[in-house]
Amino acid sequence: MNSSGVRSHVESVPVNVTATNVQNRVPLRVSVPIAMRAVNIHKSYRRHGIEVPVLQGVDLQIVEGQFTAIVGQSGSGKSTLLHLLGTLDRPDKGEIWCDHQRIDNLAPKRRERLRNQTFGMIFQFYHLLPELTTLENVLVPKMIEYSAWQYWRSKKSMVLRAKTLLDRVGLSHRLHHKPNQLSGGEMQRVAIARGLMSQPSILLADEPTGNLDRTNGQLVLESLFALCRDERLTVVMVTHDESIAKQADCRVQLCDGRIVPG
Amino acid sequence: MYKILLSWRYLRTRFIALASIISVTLGVATLIVVNSVMSGFVSEMRHRLHDILSDIEFDAGLGELSWPEHHQACIHEILGDEIEASTTIVRVPALMTFDFRGRTITQQILLIGIDESTYGRVCEIQPYLSNQHKQQLLNFFLEVDGYDDKIGDCGWGYRREKELYRLEHLSSWGIEAQTRQREQEYAEIATRLANQPLESLTPPTNRQLTVDIPSFELPVRPPNLEELAASGDHLPGASFDSATLQPFDSRSQWRPQPSADELFSPLRDQHTGIILGKAIANRKVVDAESDEVRELFLLRPGDDVRVTLPTAGENPSPIAENCTVVDFYQSNMHEYDSTFAFMSLRRLQQLRGMIDPVTGEGSVSAIQIRMKPGADLDRARDRLIAELQPEYWGFVIQTWQDLQRPLLSAVNMELTILNILLFLIIAVAGFGILATFFMIVVEKTKDIGILKSLGASSRGVMSIFLGYGLALGAVGTGVGIAIGLVFVARINQIAEGIGWLTGRQVFDPTIYYFSKIPTVVDVQMVLLVGLGAVGIAVAASVLPALRAARMHPVEALRYE
Repeated sequence: MNSSGVRSHVESVPVNVTATNVQNRVPLRVSVPIAMRAVNIHKSYRRHGIEVPVLQGVDLQIVEGQFTAIVGQSGSGKSTLLHLLGTLDRPDKGEIWCDHQRIDNLAPKRRERLRNQTFGMIFQFYHLLPELTTLENVLVPKMIEYSAWQYWRSKKSMVLRAKTLLDRVGLSHRLHHKPNQLSGGEMQRVAIARGLMSQPSILLADEPTGNLDRTNGQLVLESLFALCRDERLTVVMVTHDESIAKQADCRVQLCDGRIVPG
Repeated sequence: MYKILLSWRYLRTRFIALASIISVTLGVATLIVVNSVMSGFVSEMRHRLHDILSDIEFDAGLGELSWPEHHQACIHEILGDEIEASTTIVRVPALMTFDFRGRTITQQILLIGIDESTYGRVCEIQPYLSNQHKQQLLNFFLEVDGYDDKIGDCGWGYRREKELYRLEHLSSWGIEAQTRQREQEYAEIATRLANQPLESLTPPTNRQLTVDIPSFELPVRPPNLEELAASGDHLPGASFDSATLQPFDSRSQWRPQPSADELFSPLRDQHTGIILGKAIANRKVVDAESDEVRELFLLRPGDDVRVTLPTAGENPSPIAENCTVVDFYQSNMHEYDSTFAFMSLRRLQQLRGMIDPVTGEGSVSAIQIRMKPGADLDRARDRLIAELQPEYWGFVIQTWQDLQRPLLSAVNMELTILNILLFLIIAVAGFGILATFFMIVVEKTKDIGILKSLGASSRGVMSIFLGYGLALGAVGTGVGIAIGLVFVARINQIAEGIGWLTGRQVFDPTIYYFSKIPTVVDVQMVLLVGLGAVGIAVAASVLPALRAARMHPVEALRYE
């Protein structure tokens, strides 16, 4: 499923200004296409026999093609929310919808496919595989998607696409370096290229600038904004940096597991 | 695809993998080397046990089996095409006495009478003889040359020198000359024989032992007195008187002394040829100074011995026969080498009175049978037993394996236990892999989280580690097999090298009777060891792989 395919099927809901898009600076329209929807999400963790509630009834709509920033203090549950949206975890209660489909209760195989093809993920600590080169790291989502035989057959076009993506993030001269030979900013840009490799419709970023200096962080942010703006890619980004949140199309404030009006 | 790539990368970049590979390699190499050497020893031993025992033996024990040709014909008929050849032997325990430096030494031997023309086709004897000529053609003549250099002086040259020495010091033939003419003649012939070239003593060119079967004249009934009287030939007068009857006829009244050419002379003649097991004739002596083992020969080919053996029949009585040692037999099975002595079958039958005076056919102790290669010995034996009913007559039909069953089963058990113990080495290597893999899984927790966040399935993650285990096992096993095979191929040089390094001989040929360490590489064994090692490596990686597969992606990503 490619991004354009998703867009054509995006669900349209009547204007219903909720807490989530109070800060929405998109001019109000009669209807907005919704990429993802979370309904009354509850999630808690068990630590040493004590239940620690993390999310307590979160309702959220992510508008397709928008840059959504989720802000909140440490421990407010913003990373957990992102993980739930990205099907890395299951909510204790509530529903998550994506493209007319409830995704929180899908079979593992379907969830794996969603993670592989619909979502692109970027993490604070880059999470590149240290044994693989830059190019191979970018190719990993395709290696997972295809069997060895399919991969070999389409290797040329895959490598070409990976090279184009790396060129776009300005790393065409670093194709055969291992992650430990790259700087933090470079690693994060490799991670972005990897996130885009399987042409996802939604990019989920967990504090992508959290570990970078201002200059590098700005570079990464700019490339994310550019993706959202130029390719109408839906971006959901978790951050605790207010200045970044201010640049987003939509801002969601989390506090103690609940969405609060920012 | 990512599974193959990551397994391969982990293998290449983890130093710890090298340790696991080495442990598998060492296990596999050890197993192959030890197995090959053990199989080599066992097969060499079986070979030697088998060679002298023939495939199947129809044994009458110490008793007699009359009419052996008929039995042989029956056996050939029963076994049909599967039979290669058969021969008959006479086996009898005997005492052997000989002089060594003025002392008489007595030794127990098992005297085996063999048929020179057929025995070699049933049992392997010729390769184990020390004389080259006898290796080509089996006979019981003393040879001039061709003996193993290690024996030292032997053969006709040695025999003659010994006799000349005796003559010189005793100045006697052992009999007194009755006339001056004879004395002169004896002296002359001694000189002539001493100067006779050795080559002239070589046995007849056809090298067939011709045995003169004694022709028995059936006793003629003596004429009674009436008949004698009627013929009147023998009577000096007309009247018959027993007192005037001559007890001896004129021919036997006086026998002239034999001429020198008729006398037995060790310078020219040999007694009945006998081939001795080498260990009967020599002793191993440890040199006190150099600590080396050397051989001391009490007897050499060319020496005479006296063999005392029982006659056959209801009332066995001892008979003694002078024999000349003509060669040594060395199979390197001490049990055989220290007891076996071979003699011509026909001669032994004559000595023991086993030849039927009417038919001229000799009875035997056993019929030995050689089967065609690949024939099922046990089945052949069972068929013979079913047809011939040997129990009824007190005979035994056995394969060579039946005969040596205690030894063979002990050796086989030893081999099995050794294999089990050695496989534990690989099992230890397997636990090494298990520990290593758990560490690698812990180390790679974050990577597992990354892969899962990118859509990798639990099964995919599991197969990375299973593939890793397989690759590790395969590389370790491959290298192990290569090292093991090279080691086996070069084992003698390696043993020498170790001996040179440590100053101690690793493999002493005099102890084992093998000049080289025998090895047999069994392809099936190598495959089995290889598969077993790879299997253990994969099995050891199952648990860590399962653990990796079960990891929760969020927790794995958070892992520090």
